[in-house]
Amino acid sequence: MAPVFQDEGSSSVTSSPLQFFSMMSLSPTIGSPYPWLRELKSEERGLYLIHLLITCANHVAAGNLENANIALEQISHLASPDGDTMQRIAAYFTEALADRILKTWPGLHKALNSTRMSLLSEEILVRKVFFELFPFLKVAFVLTNQAITEAMEGEKMVHIIDLNVSEPAKWIALLQVLSARPEGPPHLRITGVHQQREVLDQMAHRLTEEAEKLDIPFQFNPIVSKLENLDVEQLRVKTGEALAISSDLQLHSLLASDDELLRKKSPLPSKTINGTHLSRVLQMNQSTLGELLEKDLVNGYSPSPDSASSSPLSLTTSVKMESFLNSLWGLTPKIMVITEQDSNHNGSSLMERLLEALYSYAALFDCLESTMTRTSVERLKVEKMLFGEEIKNIIACEGAERKERHEKLDKWIQRLDSAGFGNVPLSYYGMLQARRLLQGYGCDGYRIKEESGSVLICWQDRPLFSISAWRCRK
Amino acid sequence: MSAASSSMPFFGTTTREENQNQMLQQPTSTPASSIAPTTAPPKKRRNQPGTPNPDAEVIALSPKTLMATNRFICEVCNKGFQREQNLQLHRRGHNLPWKLKQKTNKEPKRKVYLCPEPTCVHHDPSRALGDLTGIKKHYSRKHGEKKWKCEKCSKRYAVQSDWKAHSKTCGTREYRCDCGTLFSRRDSFITHRAFCDALAQESARHPTSLNTIGGHIYGNNHMSLGLSQMGSQIPSLQNQNHPSNNMLRLGNPGGPKLEHLIQPSNPPYGAPPPPQHLSSSAFYLPDAANQPFQDHQSHHHGIPFSNKPLQGLMQLPDLQTSSNNSSGGAGPAAANLFNLGFFSNNSNATGSISPDQFNDGTNTGQGGTGLFPNNMGDHIGSGMSSLFGNSVQHENIAPHMSATALLQKAAQMGSTTSNESSNLLRTLRASSSNRAAAAAAAAKSDRQVMSPNSIQNIGGVENENHLQGLMNSLANGTSAASMFGGGQGQDNTFGGFSGGGGGGVAEAKLHQNLAASFGGSDKLTLDFLGVGGIVRNMGGGYSQRDLQHQQQQHGMTSMTSLDPQLKSTQGSQPFRGTALQ
Repeated sequence: MAPVFQDEGSSSVTSSPLQFFSMMSLSPTIGSPYPWLRELKSEERGLYLIHLLITCANHVAAGNLENANIALEQISHLASPDGDTMQRIAAYFTEALADRILKTWPGLHKALNSTRMSLLSEEILVRKVFFELFPFLKVAFVLTNQAITEAMEGEKMVHIIDLNVSEPAKWIALLQVLSARPEGPPHLRITGVHQQREVLDQMAHRLTEEAEKLDIPFQFNPIVSKLENLDVEQLRVKTGEALAISSDLQLHSLLASDDELLRKKSPLPSKTINGTHLSRVLQMNQSTLGELLEKDLVNGYSPSPDSASSSPLSLTTSVKMESFLNSLWGLTPKIMVITEQDSNHNGSSLMERLLEALYSYAALFDCLESTMTRTSVERLKVEKMLFGEEIKNIIACEGAERKERHEKLDKWIQRLDSAGFGNVPLSYYGMLQARRLLQGYGCDGYRIKEESGSVLICWQDRPLFSISAWRCRK
Repeated sequence: MSAASSSMPFFGTTTREENQNQMLQQPTSTPASSIAPTTAPPKKRRNQPGTPNPDAEVIALSPKTLMATNRFICEVCNKGFQREQNLQLHRRGHNLPWKLKQKTNKEPKRKVYLCPEPTCVHHDPSRALGDLTGIKKHYSRKHGEKKWKCEKCSKRYAVQSDWKAHSKTCGTREYRCDCGTLFSRRDSFITHRAFCDALAQESARHPTSLNTIGGHIYGNNHMSLGLSQMGSQIPSLQNQNHPSNNMLRLGNPGGPKLEHLIQPSNPPYGAPPPPQHLSSSAFYLPDAANQPFQDHQSHHHGIPFSNKPLQGLMQLPDLQTSSNNSSGGAGPAAANLFNLGFFSNNSNATGSISPDQFNDGTNTGQGGTGLFPNNMGDHIGSGMSSLFGNSVQHENIAPHMSATALLQKAAQMGSTTSNESSNLLRTLRASSSNRAAAAAAAAKSDRQVMSPNSIQNIGGVENENHLQGLMNSLANGTSAASMFGGGQGQDNTFGGFSGGGGGGVAEAKLHQNLAASFGGSDKLTLDFLGVGGIVRNMGGGYSQRDLQHQQQQHGMTSMTSLDPQLKSTQGSQPFRGTALQ
């Protein structure tokens, strides 16, 4: 029964755009730029925008650019980066969808972005603002520090590896906690990894200053490198020191780059992983199949949306991640704390990712909406330069370019488990601190959920970030 | 370096004074040579190995001797003394021969002591410490067991005098952060400072933004409130039994009461406070809890969300509504929120909610269940329709919908009643205590963001996977247009919105499609069924009849029964009203 219906459904993907087009063409006759659109109330407009976005994404996914263009135009009348939440979200998603279309003309795409500059200072600033506006990182830091402190109890030589140096506040807090520990502070070494020397320098400066103030024997060891290029030898882990590893919102980037290779080598097998899809493909007439394949190559995604995300294969394919985790395991850290976006943004199909991203970014934008004014510059910055860019990456990019491969906690658990790490439940005291902190935020939408020893930070009921701690399983 | 720099101390009083600070800890050895003080800073306190240093005697004591408290024992009474001089004085009491060492004209022999711990820097003679007490303390502190534990804060000390000194001040001191938060314990203060400091600089740069969200990690008084709450809520669970009232000294008299006001929607630890707490909370008018709920209602009806008394009390500029609403987890406040719409519209709709229902509800202490009493079938329908339907008419109380809520609503429109007929009721009840509070919380900002949960409650569609599946099937299966139009509709895919074709035709079409697609009950049909959901939603909210049908049946019948509903409510439909006409 089901396959029959599915087939109908999927075939309508190919046939609906035309109807859709005819429908769309009706609208402009009412009057130039759709005056009734303006009169929509916020809620109606929001629903309409969702509808349009999904429609548009379907067109983009199907390679139906004419229709996508029409949908984009419709959206442009409603979306706005400074409007209500859905208007903002829609603005960033259309930008991302458009970017994806544009990428099929690489020349055009490059030309349009030729003057685009990524200013380091701006980037740092926007991360800082993110740190401030949301409690997520702070909660993550508190839990990370607590887990490290507990794991390092009684240790006299402590080495911490920070896979993505970002916020000095995190380690300053740890320094202070360590300096106050009953057995006295340890000799502390922090190895920071970042691709920008300036960031590391600043970090080193702040931390040594603080360590001096607290009279803790301290050493900062900067490593200028991208995470993907990091050589574990560089970390200079010595025997006899207790090792802690910390990664904030960074590990997922290692998931990038594998799939494209795999897919290019063998586009067909990836589609026929499970039987239903095979039969579906076979049932289709030849031209449709051809079209599908063509579109697939153009857009670089697989037409079977659930092949990668739901099959266990998705875990095994990320070679880079696997080898990296293995090398970390080889360092035998006493504790490794990982903070990740808890979203499923690593689906193989555009639609899958778009829908997931809609949900999670809706939640993030809602956080801002309920805590900040609409005119706030910081808010606009975070939305545009952080979320907007992430959305663009999730929607528009494929292969190695697609870095924002956020995955849910259960996948991380699976992955780390198979890399030989055992979960360390976060302590009661850590959670207590985290909860305190959230309560101090004075905003009730934020929640903390405990899931198999790890913590999910949620907005309302939607988990947005996960924090989990690990150690080497012997 | 070397001899020259460490040479002077004992010749010439002036130099000695200069060096006194260093002398305190470590009398330096007298050098053989008498080189005049140079400009080199007299900083070096080391006995340089190899330098002729006839007077300083390097003493290495074993840990045992070092730690022996009374090395000098009186042979008569076995009393032990730490110093020989004291023993000698003691012997004098026994009429034993005694001899005090006399200060000779000669400089007394300098002694330096080594730390017995081989890995310690002070094990090296060049870093030997200058007095016995110093080395003892050093050895205990750095290499010894911390036997002395402060009962108040669990901090441990190896040296008793350290512990004594600490004990005198422990708990008496308060650590005040610049942000105004007080701490009784140093470690919590330090943890706080770590974030507060780091953020202070930034808050100076973005004062507004941070203020609006209570930007400090442990923020201003928000945090202290949180702390106080935690402190009192879970005193037994906290290992460090620090007195929670310390944290409560906030300068606002309502401190203890606020606890209840900012009761988290889902108390993390421990049971929710007993109902009588509610009556004492400052927010409610005196003896409020015992009054029929209607009273509060009328109170709030007059000034929705203003809560003046609370404001004065709490000094939480923008947050008063939130804290007020969030207390809903514990009782009536959630009801308040909901009932704002509920009651105010009630006059239009049914107007027969008895105060008793709410009393029952609140007395159970589970605000949620109280919200929608058992006989909600009679009332809830109207309440809902007023929440949604009338929101168009009553613009002033129309909530702004959050994006999450919109997405869920959109998914819902594509969704349908689940196969379990009592789904709606159950979800309402099961989720109410959490959800109601959540909804309340989300609705707090100036712009009254409508929480997703409130929508969920009303729609009764819960399961996220369900929604997800739906969105997916929408997206992957039929064109997304089906979400709003008929799945198989040929030319009315945009009908719901375009307004081009005229409402009547589109409606007829929809119904045809619906009827056609209602036969099956598998995944895809859900999708089509969902169109029914749209129609209902577009029809301006559920009526009581809709609900009942939704609960009891799904299939053709429910749709047919929807028909009259649709027609009758056409005038007030959000979508029809604007989009189609």
